[in-house]
Amino acid sequence: MATTRVLEWLGRFYIVLLLGFLYLPIVIMAAMSFNASPFYQLPFEWTTDWYISLWQNDQLIAATWNSIEIAIITTLISTALGSMASLALYRYEFRGKKFLQALLFPPIAIPWLITGTAMLIFFFGVGIGRGLIAILLGHVALALPYVIVVVSARLQTFAPELEEAARSLGANQWQVTMRVTLPWIMPGVIAGGLFAFAVSFDQFVVSYFLSTPGQTTLPVEIYAAIRKGFTPEINAVSTIIIVVSMALMLLTARFFKFGGEK
Amino acid sequence: MADQRAIGSRRGLRPALPLLLPAYLWLTVAIFLPLSAMVFFSFMTDLPLAGKEWAFTLGNYAAFFSQSLYSTLLFASLRLGLEVTLWCIVIGYPAAYVLAKVLKGRSREAIFLLVILPFWSNGLVRIFSWAMVLREGGILDTALNAVLPFKINIDLMYSYPAVIIGLVHSYVPYMVLTCYLTLQAIDDSLIEAGRSLGASRRQVLWRVIIPLSMPGLIAGAALIFVPVVGSFMEPRILGGRTGTFYGTVIEDQFVAVFNWPLGAALSFILLAVVLIILALAAPVLRRAA
Amino acid sequence: MRMPRLTAFLTATAVFVSAFTLAAQAAEEVHVLNWKGYGADEPWAVANFEKATGFKVVNDFFNSEQEMLTKIRTNPGLYDVVMINAAFNDQAMAGKLIQPIDVSKLSNYADIAKDKAGSPMLNHDGKVYGVPWVWGLTALAINDKSFDKPPTSIAEMWDPAHKGRVIIRDDAVEAVQFGAIASGQNINDIKDMDAVKAKLTSLMPQIKTFWSSENDWNQMVASNQIDIGTYWSGSADRAKTHFKLPVSLVIPQEGAVAWLDAFSIPVGSKNVAGAEAFINYMIDPKFYVEWVTKVGAPVSANTKAVEALPEDAFNRKVMGSPDVAKRIQFQAPVTDEQREKYLALWQELKVNVK
Repeated sequence: MATTRVLEWLGRFYIVLLLGFLYLPIVIMAAMSFNASPFYQLPFEWTTDWYISLWQNDQLIAATWNSIEIAIITTLISTALGSMASLALYRYEFRGKKFLQALLFPPIAIPWLITGTAMLIFFFGVGIGRGLIAILLGHVALALPYVIVVVSARLQTFAPELEEAARSLGANQWQVTMRVTLPWIMPGVIAGGLFAFAVSFDQFVVSYFLSTPGQTTLPVEIYAAIRKGFTPEINAVSTIIIVVSMALMLLTARFFKFGGEK
Repeated sequence: MADQRAIGSRRGLRPALPLLLPAYLWLTVAIFLPLSAMVFFSFMTDLPLAGKEWAFTLGNYAAFFSQSLYSTLLFASLRLGLEVTLWCIVIGYPAAYVLAKVLKGRSREAIFLLVILPFWSNGLVRIFSWAMVLREGGILDTALNAVLPFKINIDLMYSYPAVIIGLVHSYVPYMVLTCYLTLQAIDDSLIEAGRSLGASRRQVLWRVIIPLSMPGLIAGAALIFVPVVGSFMEPRILGGRTGTFYGTVIEDQFVAVFNWPLGAALSFILLAVVLIILALAAPVLRRAA
Repeated sequence: MRMPRLTAFLTATAVFVSAFTLAAQAAEEVHVLNWKGYGADEPWAVANFEKATGFKVVNDFFNSEQEMLTKIRTNPGLYDVVMINAAFNDQAMAGKLIQPIDVSKLSNYADIAKDKAGSPMLNHDGKVYGVPWVWGLTALAINDKSFDKPPTSIAEMWDPAHKGRVIIRDDAVEAVQFGAIASGQNINDIKDMDAVKAKLTSLMPQIKTFWSSENDWNQMVASNQIDIGTYWSGSADRAKTHFKLPVSLVIPQEGAVAWLDAFSIPVGSKNVAGAEAFINYMIDPKFYVEWVTKVGAPVSANTKAVEALPEDAFNRKVMGSPDVAKRIQFQAPVTDEQREKYLALWQELKVNVK
């Protein structure tokens, strides 16, 4: 099976190429955080000044922590609720199911600018106002459709007979779900959660509208910086976030199995 | 998406409600009710805020049909969405296959995570970095000229290809992961059985692998096509003077002239068109499988 | 002092919606509404004013003219001083949002340039509704590396030598008014829209991209991607002196768009005396010189303030030259209908470029 071996190596090489494409702008972002020019000017001049000034930029650091906090809570809530809904959409047949599935697309299709504006008007109209609760309401809602679509895709590969078999062996609904279904869809749940984190972490409009004065998030700070004067401190903080998350992820991959390995 | 396999599933909405309600209630409060307020606006002559006069009208929707500008742009945006989706399939599907079927163990888990990680950086900062790569005298230009024996001029910035590259970069992880989720679920013995029965690699691919991974492909395509049609940030910054699309026009209505009613009407037309396309495409794709 | 549109829009929207009256104020406070980072909120300036007068300054900010109007409309009695672009003064007065100012209380008012103090945009029925503060230009700026000597005509933008190296702002009103200047028309009374359209159409192939913030412009010039483009006078000066970029402002012989910022007192102000004191301080030469030296500022409307600058200062030498005064056109109010019409034209141009 020499061809198989060659094809497998080609495949691995292809993955390296893809990662190269995906990480190219990230590497540049990181490089520019060490470049002296605030306008990404070349030739490259090494400096760590942006990290030093970032260290003193309390506002940017506070905004980053806010963003991380909100993104984590959003991820937990939307992954849980989204996975539940996907299960229901998979397991049960009922009138209007197609409609419920179609309803997942307005939040994805309508530009976030319009959705965000609509949210703001509505939240004020009904008295929810602004603050952490409002931000979470918005972020979770924007992340939910992604989670449901991703988890549903994984569920499509699940054989319902497995659930039936477990049930016939005397397992109750809860046991069936936790012992049989959930382990199977876990890769989908993880992927959905990672997307949910990304949606929340990069969400600008909703955060801008709904955060209380003085309390901002990282994307809001980034947009404000573009107007007040952009500095590579933004690159520095983004680089730190990527490096730390990469370390955390690789650690996770080292100790947990979630890729659906049988 | 009732599929043959789901025949064993049970009927009735009632048992499904406890699982469905939390998510859909949440969506109702935070998305559907607010958007219905926007629908209301889209039928107004002016905003009911700030003490202005207003009345009900169909004029905002009529504007779409009376000016060829909007349909031209919508068409351009649909084409953009289609192209980006196709590129994501071409690039993402093979990667998902390798990830699911070739790589094993820890390295698979690590790469699974690494594919999403670039997503966790700010979209705007990513676009700025692409500008560095694509412009004349930028990184791509310099690198290629350092390697190649002859002089070439690469200036992809502010062009249609730049928009495509930026969007494909942003959306390809969706395709990789959704396809991975369904490809990984295909039992290897199924593929081996096909091969041992004398089917060629190509036949196995078209008869077994692609049909079985179709749900992932469809999910990925929908998650890419839908937002790309309404995108405005990447086209505006990377496309330069050629970066005017339907999404940028909607943005202009909201941001530049404060004409929310027209902007809202334009986005609901977009939504309707996108939903029709999805409704038409889904059965075709499934039958093809 | 204009902001990128997206942030401006977002803040404006937030204000539209959250427009609820805030708490009552103490009598000795002066509530000021202005752009952020635009002189009035400089800590040293606030400290000086407070020490001199005993009033306490409370700053609030807006991100767009629409937002500013909404804020004073929905918070009657909250603000004592509001900074209004002269082109919007009409609208504020017509909406009964601002009151006449007793200029006899302002000792510095007499030094304000006569053409600005007498502007019909700020004076209605013989009463003064706005005190001119500073002014600036939307003109051209060049990349010094691309020119041996600075061009004098706006036509330079159409020179095939600069094909693909021209940049203009993605703003319909600005683009149309710019087209009016290029076709020799009055920016406030455009008679021949076809000429404007023709001018802009022929400009499109020259354009590299559209800019929306100062940062865009500076990045483009830092990486030597552009030769020439529209730019704001204050930003060009800042790019040159503060960021050391090879940028020079050019005021073409055909003219440039000028804007004038003025201070007004909202109807219902609870501290008119404090407001008058603050406005008078803002047009004082001492404050102005400090502002220019420490931060960089547009040109003061107060002639004595400009004269207090060094002879070769940009705001005195370039902006103050009588030759420039003859060329520039001050921006008058733009109605909503005009705005939409300009946007339609601008969108059409951008679509057809493909």
